[in-house]
Formats: sequence, structure tokens, C-alpha cells
Amino acid sequence: MHSSLSNIRLAGLAVTTGSVVRDFIADGLAVGVDRAALERTAKTIGLRERRVAAAGITALDLCADATERLLSEMGLDATSIDAVIFVTQTPDHAQPNNASLLHGRLGLSKSAPAYDLAMGCSGWVTGLHQAALLCAHGGAARVLLCAGDTLSRLTNPGDRSTDPLFGDAGSATLVEKTGRSAPLHFVLGADGSGAEAIMVKQGGARQPTGPLTERTDAEGNRTHDANLVMNGADVFSFTLREVPGAIESVMRHAGYVPATTDTLVLHQANRFILSTLAKKTGFTEAQTPMSVVEHFGNQSSTSIPCALIHCLGDRLEAGPLKVVGCGFGVGLSWGAFAGEIGPLTIAPILSLPR
Amino acid sequence: MTRAEQLAALRADVDALAHADEATVLAALPQWDSLAILLVVSHFEHVHEIEITGAQVRACRTVGDILNLIPSLS
Repeated sequence: MHSSLSNIRLAGLAVTTGSVVRDFIADGLAVGVDRAALERTAKTIGLRERRVAAAGITALDLCADATERLLSEMGLDATSIDAVIFVTQTPDHAQPNNASLLHGRLGLSKSAPAYDLAMGCSGWVTGLHQAALLCAHGGAARVLLCAGDTLSRLTNPGDRSTDPLFGDAGSATLVEKTGRSAPLHFVLGADGSGAEAIMVKQGGARQPTGPLTERTDAEGNRTHDANLVMNGADVFSFTLREVPGAIESVMRHAGYVPATTDTLVLHQANRFILSTLAKKTGFTEAQTPMSVVEHFGNQSSTSIPCALIHCLGDRLEAGPLKVVGCGFGVGLSWGAFAGEIGPLTIAPILSLPR
Repeated sequence: MTRAEQLAALRADVDALAHADEATVLAALPQWDSLAILLVVSHFEHVHEIEITGAQVRACRTVGDILNLIPSLS
């Protein structure tokens, strides 16, 4: 689906990460993995360290902290927010949703709706589209988009193919209605036939909480039904099949070409995927931020806002930049965007607790 | 490309196969893991412009079986 929305702008961004630093090599050595194998993976995939949430800290806490810091940085009161959207797959509870809990915690106006989007790595773009829709056509002047996950809690430490990948983080993005006419373009899609490529089987209505039996795959990776299990090769195939086309499509709508676009900001899955996507879409590696994963890990829906701050923060504060981006992952699903972003307010990346 | 050239290209892209020949049994290679499978998928995509799945690669017993996934050579 293509959608172009005018008279909206990204006004501010903030990211809060987990506070516990995990080292890829040290963690692997501790569970008996050969150093040469770890260094080979670290080099190919781009893993070095990641930040995971301390005990008791949830995606809601991380996003609330990012929101409070962003509002403070912008000199805004929480009551000026007209709606809140929360993108997460690791909510505090099955009910109520995280957006309502955040609404109560921040003291938002009763006229502000609050709802969750149950999405992962493509979710920030879908959330941005929702927020932009509310501003462009829904009567909102300022929408808070929170996106965050604590996926490190779902992986099995015995699953060396998935567990070392994920970091925990939460983001806050403020989207505002403006008189500016330049549109933000979106291309969103899904392929549910590949839904089992990234899955946590247990914990929903189909397979509620119950006894867990651990199984071991041919490579010795251990998982059970309450773990996040990912078929990396199939996710990679899906990414190469769908993401370049989505990027090319959204760039056509925006009238962008790689040579005159400032940056391609992708979901920070791992360096290998990002490098391949940059090559396939005609962007240089210099145009394509890739360093988030080696400092923070794969942060699910927070990775694009984290890349915008970590790699482009100063330039976006001075803005505008012509930005093309794409999130992709669980669903399987994807969301691409293109448009001018900035100047905007950025709160620095901090961890919680500090 | 000849089959020998295909093998050389595969060995260059997938370090786990660097010293393998067509008869090499994949399961016997110490570095044959999920990362190696991902590199094979990537190799097929950028060298042969063929989309293959991880399941197809996992089903291969030998390096020759991987080469047989290239339609023009099988």
C-alpha cells in the first residue's frame, strides 16, 4: 500500500536503552563457544556489544523515560499530546495495552486516544504512518509515537543463533501537524505466509502458558515454545525479496534517487543484511548507517529512531535531510518511508536506570 | 560459468566451504552452521540472482548438492 501525507513533520526523537552491557565474545566464551567461531560471526554480522534491560525494567519504562526526556527537551507539557500510539510486542500485560498505561503515567488528556500496534522491526514506520494520518486527517496537532521492546527476555541463552542478537530499548517520537506542504511518503506491506519465520508460539490464546519442553536443533541451539525463535536464513531471503522493491517504490513516489538522497536508514538488523540492502538499492555504505547493532544490538522497532539519533543526530537537528528508510521483520512485514526530516529536537541516547 | 568456476565462487563467498570439494559432506565441516547457511543464501542471490531458502540449503548433504540448486547446472 502506498500513502503520501502532507502537512506533518517529525518534531522530536528520543531513545532510552537498557543499562546492562553484554559482550558478544565474552558471553559466547562463557557458554563454551569456540573463540574463532565467535570472531567469525562477530566480523560477518557486526556484533560486538548490546544493551539489555535490567531486571524489572520493561519497554513501557524505557519509552516513558524517552518521552519524559523529549518533552522536557522541547519544553512541552504532556497534556499537549492529542494521541499516543505504542508499538510493542513485549507489553507489560495482556490487558490493558501499554499506550493506556503510558497515558495514565504521563497524565495525558482524556480526549487523547491511546492504542497499541503489535508489531516488531517494521513497527516504527507503521506507527509513524498512523501518527501522520492522525495529524494529516484525524484532527490531532501532536501525536506521541512510542516504539520499544525487551526481546532479550524472550530468547533462550542456549540459542546461539538468536540470543546474541537482541538489545532492549524504547523510543519516543513526536509528530506534529504543520503548514509545511512537502509530503512524507510510505509504502507498507506484509506477507503472512512467512509468519512462522519469526515466532513466539506460547503466551497467546492459541497456545496459552503451560509446561515447557526444551528442544535442541542440529546445531545444538536450545529453545522452547515461550522463546522467540527465528529462522535467520528465511528472514534473510524475505528481506532480499521484499525490501529493495519497497525502497525503490517509495523513492519513486518521492522522486528521489540514491545520488541526491542524504541517507538510507534501515532497521538495524545486522551489518551483513544492511550492507547487502545498500548494495542492492544503489546506496553507498557511507549513506547507510550500520553501527547501531554493534553498540546496542538489534533493538526491534527502536532501531530506526536509534540510528537517526546515533548516526545522524547533529545533521537532523540542523536539518532538513532527505531520508529514505525501511523497517522489516516479524509478520512478515515491512514499511518504507521517504521525505524530508528535520530540523528537529533530539534528546540524547541514555540508559535506564542511570 | 563452468561447474568448477561455480564451486570456486561458492568457496570464495562462504568461508566454511573454503577448502571443500563437491564430495565434502556439509555436516562434517566444523563451521557449517546457521551463519554459513545464510552466506550460501546470500551467494545465490548476488552471484546467480536466484532466491533459495534456508530449508533448501539445510536439505543438502554435500557441497555438490548445493551446486545442484543452480538450475542451469543440475
